[in-house]
Amino acid sequence: MLDAGLLKEIGSIVGSENLLTAPEELVLYGYDATPAAEVVRPDAVVLAGTAEEIAKIVLLANRTPFFVIPRGAGTGLTGGARPIRGGVVISTQRMNRILRIDADNLQAIVEPGVVTEHLQKQVEAQGFFYAPDPQSMATCTIGGNLAENAGGPRAVKYGVTRQSVLALQAVLPEGQLVRLGARTLKSVAGYDLLSLLLGSEGTLGIITEATLRLLPLPESRRTLLAVFAEVEQAAAAVGATFRAGVLPAAIEFMDGNAVRCVEDYGEKSSSGLPREAGAVLIIEVDGGAGDVERAAAIVERVMREGKAGLVKLAADAAEAESIWKARRAVGPALAKIAPLKVNEDIVVPLSSLPRAVAGIHSIAEENDIKCAIFGHAGDGNLHVNFLANPLNSDEVCRVERAVTEMFRLVISLHGSITGEHGVGTTKQKYLSLELSEESIDAMRAIKAALDPRGIMNPAKIFPERAEDGS
Amino acid sequence: MAPEKKKPSLRSEIDRCVRCGACMAQCPVYGATQREGGVARGKIALTRAGQDGRLAAGQVFRFHLSACLLCGSCTAVCPNQVDTPFIVQAERARLAAAKKTGRLKSYVLRKILPSRRLLPALLSGARFSRLLWASKVPKESGLHIRFLRGPGGERHRIPKISRPFFIERGKKKAVGTEEVDVALFAGCVSNYLRPQAAGAALAGLAGLGASVIVPADQGCCGLPAFGAGETQAARKLALRNLDAFLPADGHWPRYITSPCASCVYMLSKHMVELLSDDVEVAGRAREFEERVVPFSALWLKLRGDSPPKTALGEKRGPLLTYHDPCHLAKGLKERDAPRKLLTSLPNARFTEMEDADRCCGQGGSFCVSHYDLSLAIAERKLDSVLRSGADILVTECSGCLLQLTEALGRVKPGSEVILTSEALLRFGEADPETD
Repeated sequence: MLDAGLLKEIGSIVGSENLLTAPEELVLYGYDATPAAEVVRPDAVVLAGTAEEIAKIVLLANRTPFFVIPRGAGTGLTGGARPIRGGVVISTQRMNRILRIDADNLQAIVEPGVVTEHLQKQVEAQGFFYAPDPQSMATCTIGGNLAENAGGPRAVKYGVTRQSVLALQAVLPEGQLVRLGARTLKSVAGYDLLSLLLGSEGTLGIITEATLRLLPLPESRRTLLAVFAEVEQAAAAVGATFRAGVLPAAIEFMDGNAVRCVEDYGEKSSSGLPREAGAVLIIEVDGGAGDVERAAAIVERVMREGKAGLVKLAADAAEAESIWKARRAVGPALAKIAPLKVNEDIVVPLSSLPRAVAGIHSIAEENDIKCAIFGHAGDGNLHVNFLANPLNSDEVCRVERAVTEMFRLVISLHGSITGEHGVGTTKQKYLSLELSEESIDAMRAIKAALDPRGIMNPAKIFPERAEDGS
Repeated sequence: MAPEKKKPSLRSEIDRCVRCGACMAQCPVYGATQREGGVARGKIALTRAGQDGRLAAGQVFRFHLSACLLCGSCTAVCPNQVDTPFIVQAERARLAAAKKTGRLKSYVLRKILPSRRLLPALLSGARFSRLLWASKVPKESGLHIRFLRGPGGERHRIPKISRPFFIERGKKKAVGTEEVDVALFAGCVSNYLRPQAAGAALAGLAGLGASVIVPADQGCCGLPAFGAGETQAARKLALRNLDAFLPADGHWPRYITSPCASCVYMLSKHMVELLSDDVEVAGRAREFEERVVPFSALWLKLRGDSPPKTALGEKRGPLLTYHDPCHLAKGLKERDAPRKLLTSLPNARFTEMEDADRCCGQGGSFCVSHYDLSLAIAERKLDSVLRSGADILVTECSGCLLQLTEALGRVKPGSEVILTSEALLRFGEADPETD
């Protein structure tokens, strides 16, 4: 608990109207989008307005000490923003200005609270393109995207968030306000601390400003739908597309269960996909108009040669939209079937996709759980959804067992337990499946060096040890 | 605003929220505040904590519950279509039952609105009531329900009371040429402040051949009371309107409509719910709900979906744009009919504005109890309105009408906001002499 004097000091830094301590407010900032996670109240919430305010509070946190928990929009799925040990939540939502769109240098300088889609619309109006497109982009903020190194469908061509960040301003765990990276396309001056912060899930610092890389807005795009009888055929077609010399902007995948969910439960978005489909690919190509036509023709041919039963090239934007609608309808449709949807985001090498999908299906079957798989096939990132009724404890148990078995399978295929959601609190116990003890110790050493008092976003990423837990 | 007729239990509705935060993209209150307490996910988290006995209903709790427009923008983007307006309304009802709402507001909603005599009496002594309200009622109290915009002064514009009221101007009837009979629900704004809107609806429907009656005994639709959690008051009104429109031993009209879509929403979505515990009337309430149709949708139904006679060639007249009322677009999922009505008008042109379905921030008593927030939300709406270049803003809800008239009047004095029924009369071919 924080005493009154300390709260007064925090209030004097950020203004009393930006310090929330009412029990209601503590509930409101005690969760993020992690499924089925308990609300854990922080001791206070700060709605930060500037980098300097954040630096002062972090200094104070070291002196006192108390925990600080950085928070963007609270749309994370693995508990990164949950204040599980109490402390002060620092929300960056108020810091939501786009400071500059620099056309000459293809950069945007933004505060962390800018909503991702808002930035995209602003730069697109000027003919530019900010590539990262996490599914929650209508609500999530840049600060959270950077802290989690978010991905999205376009990652197959444009990379994850990391590839779009040039420089940062951040407050390190001891309160130092630093600039990392450079506002250039390259820089090898010293250690790449910029990359260290990206994806550190708020454990190594709070991002207070970012210089993001923009690209020229692709002139044109085309969308294709390909329906396959077998998952193996779809997976093979992904590889064949690359070998044919085309790098699509997105290759999205839905398994047969996901297709049937959309058809049976999708609200007026029924896509007309065949219910007997084994797998569906949605491929988007972008670029110069001529190149796009050529690429679309190649993809169409590759899909047909790959034994797709149905290949549909969207004639216009409206048709493309209706194809994408089917993909976006998967999540909501699944939610209608089961109140608890355990959504894991595993990633495997491309060539292992068919084995991963088949293996997961048989794990689900053995544990008698409904399961639907969709995701970003172009980079091997699959969202595996195990569906359960949270009131059925036996079913919840079986889901947990299935998740563990799935992670073991993924590791055996040289994959990773998380492609874009992060470890947070929900995957801590699985981290050692993927990383050796030595690797985890090296990470802990970095954490200890930068955050000697352990005040920043405690009890995240690393599995609990006996000596932890104050 | 879930599509199902039968309401789920409050708890099961709360539990369907998975806190994904998709509501943040559309919630007008969140858009203006960026605070977790503003958005649906937050209000549901608070309600859940309260239900679990982990949170007392303190001041901040009541504030966040009151700061909701019940617009349903959240439900429209929610992957699970969680009915947040239902949750908020139910929680407000619980607080009201426990007497946690302001006493004055509660008095108006319980006593004055359902009364046949008090409300007209108060309004006819408008000067008196203004004085009374100005001196007695703090703005935050929420007493100033939507059509009594408050005590005047520098911040509020009070719409002028219009005597005589629409319903007391003698028996209203329009006899059409066809065997379709419609009963018109005026709604408070049309009755007391803007009789021309109800008159226009009457004329417009008669122009399409319908026989229209205006049941004399009708009252307020009950939405302000219902939204505030004053369920008993809303129930009284529901019963009164049921008897006025579907008398137990009289003629029942084929359709019931209103120039105001929020009234239509209330009358077609909550009658059964409010009266379900009374076996004697529940059946009639179902019949009632089934007959209620939004004004523009009824216009479309009666006219048929044929292309307008004068669609071809260059149209003349003022440029109209349309604001989607939340209760119509999100609550009743009706977006096409008003647009078809407006684009069919021979004497006006139409342009679509950006984000036409963005909430105007009125929200019943919200615009009074959260005056600044309400105007901040309206400002974002005004951007789109002004950019559209339209001469006249049209909508189909009298709450939106009051809000937009006030907000637009601040930045562009003299701008006109009208209802679809009025647009039909002014720019269509309907005979304006019906009244």
